[in-house]
Amino acid sequence: MEGIGINVPGLVAQLICFFILFGLLSVLFYKPIRRILDERSERIRVSMEQAEQIKEQMAKTEEQVREQLEDARRGGQNVLAQAAQMGERLKEEARGEARHEAEIIIARARTEIERERDEAIDELRHQFVDLAILAAEKVVSETLDREKHRRLIEEVLEQAPGGRGDGGSSKKEG
Amino acid sequence: MARIGWWWGRLGRWRKIIIIAVVVIVLLLMGRLFFSVPQPHVELAAEPLFGSPFTNTMLASLFTIIVLGAVCFAATRKMRIVPKGLQNIVEALLEMLINFVDDTAGKEYGRKFFPVIATIFIFVIANAWLALIPGFMTVGFWHTEGEEQVLVPLFRGANTDINFPLALALVSFVFVEYWGLRSQGFFRYMRRFISVGELFRGISQIFRGKIKSGLGTFFTGVVKAFAGFIEVISELVRILSLTVRLFGNMTAGEILILMMIFLIPWVAAIPFYGLELFLGFVQALIFGGLTLVFLVMAVTPREEHE
Repeated sequence: MEGIGINVPGLVAQLICFFILFGLLSVLFYKPIRRILDERSERIRVSMEQAEQIKEQMAKTEEQVREQLEDARRGGQNVLAQAAQMGERLKEEARGEARHEAEIIIARARTEIERERDEAIDELRHQFVDLAILAAEKVVSETLDREKHRRLIEEVLEQAPGGRGDGGSSKKEG
Repeated sequence: MARIGWWWGRLGRWRKIIIIAVVVIVLLLMGRLFFSVPQPHVELAAEPLFGSPFTNTMLASLFTIIVLGAVCFAATRKMRIVPKGLQNIVEALLEMLINFVDDTAGKEYGRKFFPVIATIFIFVIANAWLALIPGFMTVGFWHTEGEEQVLVPLFRGANTDINFPLALALVSFVFVEYWGLRSQGFFRYMRRFISVGELFRGISQIFRGKIKSGLGTFFTGVVKAFAGFIEVISELVRILSLTVRLFGNMTAGEILILMMIFLIPWVAAIPFYGLELFLGFVQALIFGGLTLVFLVMAVTPREEHE
């Protein structure tokens, strides 16, 4: 034991050296580096989580934007469709009104025309009757009572084919 | 220079080899003749300095502590979350060590074992490597011992003082037993070493007249008690094996380098420096690794067959 140098003071000294180094390294080396390693891994974990969250958030936002765009597109289409419909309706209304107006005008014109024709026919008939009477007076001279005569002609005219319209001419021919 | 290169390029392969050999031999002879080294003196025990009990290996230990302390202080003085320079280096090295311990002992125990394992590893490797600094073993005081003059080096690697490996082995032993007791509980842990239950059961069976089964139990009891005794021995022998392994390797390496320097001064010792660097690492790894393995064995419950 002496030869290879085992002795108590040497052993104790080296033990003390070991514990000094142990303390020194624990305080100066292991603890701070452990702390920084833990801190770093913690930070990396948190960053990863945040990145994940941000990615999720982004996906969600994108989805929302897409939805909103879709909504807007649909809204625009709706507005366009409504506008087209409204235009169609307005056109239809305008056309209907115009037609209505035209019909009224036409109807009025037609009644006017009928009235004027009737008037003209009456006028014509009066003149014709007068003419016929005049002619008859001329022919028959004063043999007949003027009033009786008139009635007679009226009867003839009534019976004539075509009523009041063409009666005069047929009578005239007869 | 260019002409020498041209001349060299034209030489044949064998001529080149011969020329190199001649140059090396001339250099070696010059070293031997003009830079002769005093005959090395091998002393296994650490030599006291200044006639006090303070030895040159203690001085080397203190030197190692100071160097390590300074490096660690410099590296961890301003810790940054994004490491840089020295902090980065020591962090990477320590992380390797942490992973080594964690892989062997698991995360939970790894954290508890780590400081001791790491200190053993770092102390051994630092002692080994710092002992390779020129001046270790060669700078010292002349001392007359009988007829001859003997150089007492001022610094001598702490690994080569058997007290240092012994101290580490004792620390390792105490730490292992402490963790064994702590994790297993006193009685469960002690049952590894003292298992005489079956022995006594056998004896009582014999006394109660069940001779045949009693004898069977008695003999397995004897075997178990003996196995426990062997367990005790193997536990104690670890101290010896750890001590002698480190001491022997390191002392042999140191003597080898001293001898090489003495026999062929200059270049011949350089490969052995490389070898010693590697050996220092290996020995540190073995000491730390074995302590770690013993710890893991101590905290792992044994299977009970009873």
